[in-house]
Order: sequence, then structure tokens, then C-alpha cells
Amino acid sequence: MNCKGKPELRERLAAEYALGTLRGRARARLKRWMRDDAELAREVAKWEARLAPLAQAVAPVAPPARVWNALQNRLEVNPKGARRMSFSVWKALGLMASGAATALLAIAILLPSLRDTSPAAYVAVLSDAKTNRAVLVATAGQADKVLRVNTLDPSIQVSGRSLELWALPRDGKPKSLGVIGSAERAALRLDAPADKALANVPALAISLEPQGGSPTGQPTGPVLYSGPCVKYW
Amino acid sequence: MAPPAQVDALGELLSRSALGDRAAFARLYQATSSKLYGVALRILRREDWAEEVLQECYVNVWRHAPEYNASRAAPMTWMTSIVRNRCLDWLRRPNPEPLAEGAEEYIEDGGPGPLDQLERSQEAGAVVRCLRGLEAKQRQAIALAFFDGLSHAELAQHLREPLGTVKTWVRRGLAKLRSCLELQG
Repeated sequence: MNCKGKPELRERLAAEYALGTLRGRARARLKRWMRDDAELAREVAKWEARLAPLAQAVAPVAPPARVWNALQNRLEVNPKGARRMSFSVWKALGLMASGAATALLAIAILLPSLRDTSPAAYVAVLSDAKTNRAVLVATAGQADKVLRVNTLDPSIQVSGRSLELWALPRDGKPKSLGVIGSAERAALRLDAPADKALANVPALAISLEPQGGSPTGQPTGPVLYSGPCVKYW
Repeated sequence: MAPPAQVDALGELLSRSALGDRAAFARLYQATSSKLYGVALRILRREDWAEEVLQECYVNVWRHAPEYNASRAAPMTWMTSIVRNRCLDWLRRPNPEPLAEGAEEYIEDGGPGPLDQLERSQEAGAVVRCLRGLEAKQRQAIALAFFDGLSHAELAQHLREPLGTVKTWVRRGLAKLRSCLELQG
């Protein structure tokens, strides 16, 4: 059963979800419906926007410093955990797999750390062509306007130079996606949702560039790493 | 109230957080955590729970920052909803804490209360005025549900009224609130 075709019921459930009186199984059920029913999700968001400003009336209370400290640890733990695990898996398999298999493996590896974000529809695993060692994974959800970049091997950074990530379209010139910083986990802004920006991009590559990135807008240095960019759904 | 300049600043801190900027995220936390901790504490009524929920919510804000859509909600609305929803999920657990004394301070008529100060706010003014326009019982039920996270059953118990009556107050109150807000544009 769902609430499609019953506008009054939908309206009431959306309002009670946002107010908070919808509880237990009814709440969980509405949450499930919202995942497949964008219209219902918008209805709930509208109610949240109507009611949330009331929260300004609640007296602020400074949280203890331990909340921030613990929070910082939790931001650190996930990407590092994923990285350690990925290394042992690459090693265990003595990986010589094809790009697609590599990417599938990367999904399995990254799932724990990506579980709470939108599902990654696009996955690119960039590796060193000589050793087949994976060095970086880039992912994006279909509608995301950012590309999440996970550096698996921080030693790829070259001091005094920059690593620049490129989209290699099926037809046309490489398009810069940005410079890979030293952070293990970063997000690069896409100029359109991934479904558009990566639609005709079968591969990504990383080139070695002067500090700050290519001065010409096209790769000027050697391509050090590359890999297929695959859309999974 | 958050003046427009602050709304913009929070939006900027959010988009910088989306790009992995930890310093921007720290400033976002500094600017918003007292308000959100207050909201969580009020609903959960236990410091340890509120701390845990607050922490989880900021992890979610950090991870979901790339999906924040400024055209759909103001930054504080978005984060408040994340916190309130997490608190309400948390309360599915058995044995919620008893309601604190003074829970009705927001909804009493007469005398300047926190809602009076909000009435002049650009963001919250309309909803406060519309809330005031409701019948007292509807207003009380909606305020207790919003601020203190009471479910229908808890409202019935607290207000000593039959469950069906309380549900009707909430339903009619929300419907009136909506038409009032639509009139205010």
C-alpha cells in the first residue's frame, strides 16, 4: 500500500512527519516512500521549511567540547579505514584485473564509507599503467555536482608540482576536473550534474603539471595515471 | 533571527564544507552547534543522547553537504530538519524521558516569550503569526509536538484528552497553519 492518488492523505502524512507526530512504523514507512516518490519528498521538505524557523525560539545551549573532538575523530576514521582495507585487498588479490573489474572491486570497498551519501552512479579507478596499482578512486551520484575523490596512495603527490585530473571525452579534448590536493578525501566541483558532465566520458586521467595546474587548459605534462569511468546505474 | 548576511555566510560555509574544507566546517559548527544542541536537548531531555545525536548529525552534514540545495531550504532550516528528524528516530527507542518542567513556556498567551521576539524575524515571523492565530488547544498540541517531540499518544497523555481528540487538533491545526502561511505568501 502507498499513498499515491490520495493527495489529502499525502499532505497530512508529510505535515505530521515534519512536525514529528508521525512515529514508529508509520514514520519508517513514509521515509521509504520518500525514496521513490520525489513529489512526496518535496512535500515533506516544504513542511520542514514552514516549521523549522520556529526552532529559533529554542534557547541555545553550548555543547561540551568533547562533541567537537569526537566529531573530528569520526571525520578522520572513515576514509582512513577504507584506505587501509583497500590496500590489503589489492595486495591479497595481486591485482592485475581489467579496469571494469577494478572499478567493481572499488565499489565494494568504498561502499562502507559512501553508505550515507547518495549512491555513486559513476566510478572511476585510476591506476598506474605499469604496475596496475590503483592510486585514486573518483565517484559521483547521478545528480551530484561534485566528484568525490579518494586518494588511495598519498605518495603520488610530487613536491613542487601539481597532479591534475582530466575527463577524457569520447570525442573532443580533455576537460580539466581540477587539481588533486594532498587531502585523502576531497570533492571537485563539476560544472553540471554528473549525468551531464560525465555522460560521454569513458575515461579519466591524471597528468603532472606545474604547481597550480596546467597553464594552457590542456594537459602539458606526462599522463601518470588513468582508468575507465563507468556508469553503473 | 538570522539576518540575510548570516544566511549567506552559512550557505558559503556549507558549500566550502562540500568541497572538503575542514576549516569552513569548523566555523559552521561554531556558528550553529549551540542552536542545534538546544533543539536536540529539548526533544531528547538527556544530555548524553543529545550529544550523540548532535555528533551524528554533523557527520551527516559533512557527508551530505554536496547535496545541500540552497533553492530548497535555508542552511539553518536544512540542518534543523536533520537534527529534529534524527532526534525523532532516536525516540523510537523505549523509555523516553519525562517531559521537563516549564515545557509550555513557548505557548502561553500574554507576556513576552521567545516566540514574541521571533515574530519580527523575517524568516520565522509568518509561521509565528499563523501559530498565534490557531485555537489555543491546536496551538498547544502543535507547539508541544514541535518543541518537545511529543507523539500523538504522549500528547494525549500530557493533555489528558482522548487520543482521537488530540489527533484532530493536530490535523486541523496543521491545515489552518498551511492556509494561513499561503495567504501570507
